[in-house]
Amino acid sequence: MSSTNVALRLDNLCKSFGRIRAVDHLSLDVHCGQMVGFLGPNGAGKSTTLYMIPRLVRPSAGRIEIFGHNVWDHFKKAIRHVGTMVETPSFYEYLSARKNLKLVARLHEGVTDGQIDNILDRIGLCERQNDKVATYSHGMKQRLGLGMTLLGRPKLLLLDEPTNGMDPEATREILTFLRERVTQDGLAVFISSHLLHEVQEYCDNVFIINHGGLIASGNVKEILARHDNVVRVTFNGATPDCSQLTSQDGIEHAETLSTGSLEITLANRDAAWLNSFLLSKGYEVSALIPRQRTLKEFFLSITGEQNDA
Amino acid sequence: MRNMVAPLLYNEITKASRTKLPYFGIIAAAIICVLTFVVTKAIASQETLNGWGYASLSMQWVFSDIGLIFVAVFSAMLIAEETSSGTARTVLSAPVSRWEFYLAKVLTGLIYAMLVSIASLIMSVFLGSLHYQFGDIADSAGLVYAKREVLANFLIAFFLSWLPLASTVLYGIFISTIVRKTGQAVAVAIGTIYLIDFTKHFIGIDSYVFTRYLGFSWGIFHQVAQGVDYQWLPGTWRMVAVSLVYCFVAFTLGLAIFARRDFNG
Repeated sequence: MSSTNVALRLDNLCKSFGRIRAVDHLSLDVHCGQMVGFLGPNGAGKSTTLYMIPRLVRPSAGRIEIFGHNVWDHFKKAIRHVGTMVETPSFYEYLSARKNLKLVARLHEGVTDGQIDNILDRIGLCERQNDKVATYSHGMKQRLGLGMTLLGRPKLLLLDEPTNGMDPEATREILTFLRERVTQDGLAVFISSHLLHEVQEYCDNVFIINHGGLIASGNVKEILARHDNVVRVTFNGATPDCSQLTSQDGIEHAETLSTGSLEITLANRDAAWLNSFLLSKGYEVSALIPRQRTLKEFFLSITGEQNDA
Repeated sequence: MRNMVAPLLYNEITKASRTKLPYFGIIAAAIICVLTFVVTKAIASQETLNGWGYASLSMQWVFSDIGLIFVAVFSAMLIAEETSSGTARTVLSAPVSRWEFYLAKVLTGLIYAMLVSIASLIMSVFLGSLHYQFGDIADSAGLVYAKREVLANFLIAFFLSWLPLASTVLYGIFISTIVRKTGQAVAVAIGTIYLIDFTKHFIGIDSYVFTRYLGFSWGIFHQVAQGVDYQWLPGTWRMVAVSLVYCFVAFTLGLAIFARRDFNG
């Protein structure tokens, strides 16, 4: 990717709260036309990072660029095409959804009533648009928060747990819509989420942080393809003990499923090797079904390793 | 890039017009005007009090108590409410600089103080005209002050009273930048104003506290209304200086704090 295509660049970003280092020399690029997942356990520094991008929190060190503009030197130029939703979206609860959107629309150039109508339609709040936001459910507020980020035709969206509290249908609709915008319009989406199956399904790239620092990054499919495989094994007769298996080099994890089968996570080995190994130990394998690791499994293994260390 | 103060101010007015507090403040000021009217009508005859005198008493009472409280509460809520509810994050994530947000808040507070002041003035003049005369000031020896001179002094008193009111607004906004919770910001603003007001005589700082001057210009005008000698200077200079110093210090400190504040959670 060329540097002119970079929507968001974090360069050696640091943030300390007293003696606690929340973000530690974090560097990453988000390109136009990409939906990028930003993952990490609680307290890893995700929200602090998202707060620093629109200058809501002052970094201790480092540089943030949006479309080539340093946010601390040229804030308005940098932020004018950015839609931000950090943590729980906040509204003037005594006003309607439409009025809330109009207030924010005034802060962006050229947002028409027609665009507000389109956004209300897209987030499914047309029928309740004139009701006070105080009467909305959590999921409706979340949808309204997402709607606000779409005002001003953004080219970069910064979203923190955007589908939190939404029902599965609404979640799918919103993420599909964002995915279409990414593919068709070249929108860049930087999305922090704990719903890892969503990230795996919709995101192109992923950045995983822990203790404020980047621990893994890359294309989601490539990461999962190059990392360990998981194999489900069914035996005829005796089943090996999980603790014995995990002590074997090449086997990272093994657990017994409710069906009696074993699920074995391999480290730098494949299913053929596992089959040979089990046969050499005298076990009779009746079925061996390899599957790729999910992002959730990869995330847990990589953050677990870090925390153990 | 587009200056955002005007759109932000428009938003502030939209929001304020949809909440109850600003209306309560204006109604409370009107009630004080009515109470002043009832009391002065009961204890003072038309020979000893005229319309000008009633209006000056009414304006003094409004801004030495209820008006002061509502202006301070409204100002103290302006930023603290947005910080505690999280809406400040939404606004500051848009192409809006911190000083524009802050300036829009200051202008909103000042406009509200002026509205309360103008509403009180209209109510005082209206009620005064029901029972008293707004004419020349005369005594047994004849004309003391012509109506034109009295009206000029009346307007001077009215516009000068905005200076200590502006100090109240900026003090409230300053508190609003250092206290994040709305209720706490209101309590701190009102609490400190009254604490200073009650103790200023004992510690000899009376002349240096802006609250002393909230009714100052109306006090001078009351002398005009009574037909006695009046003297705007040098007291007015002190009032102007003290009010402007408070305005400048509160505005600058508030902006410095607000510009450097983190808005995380």
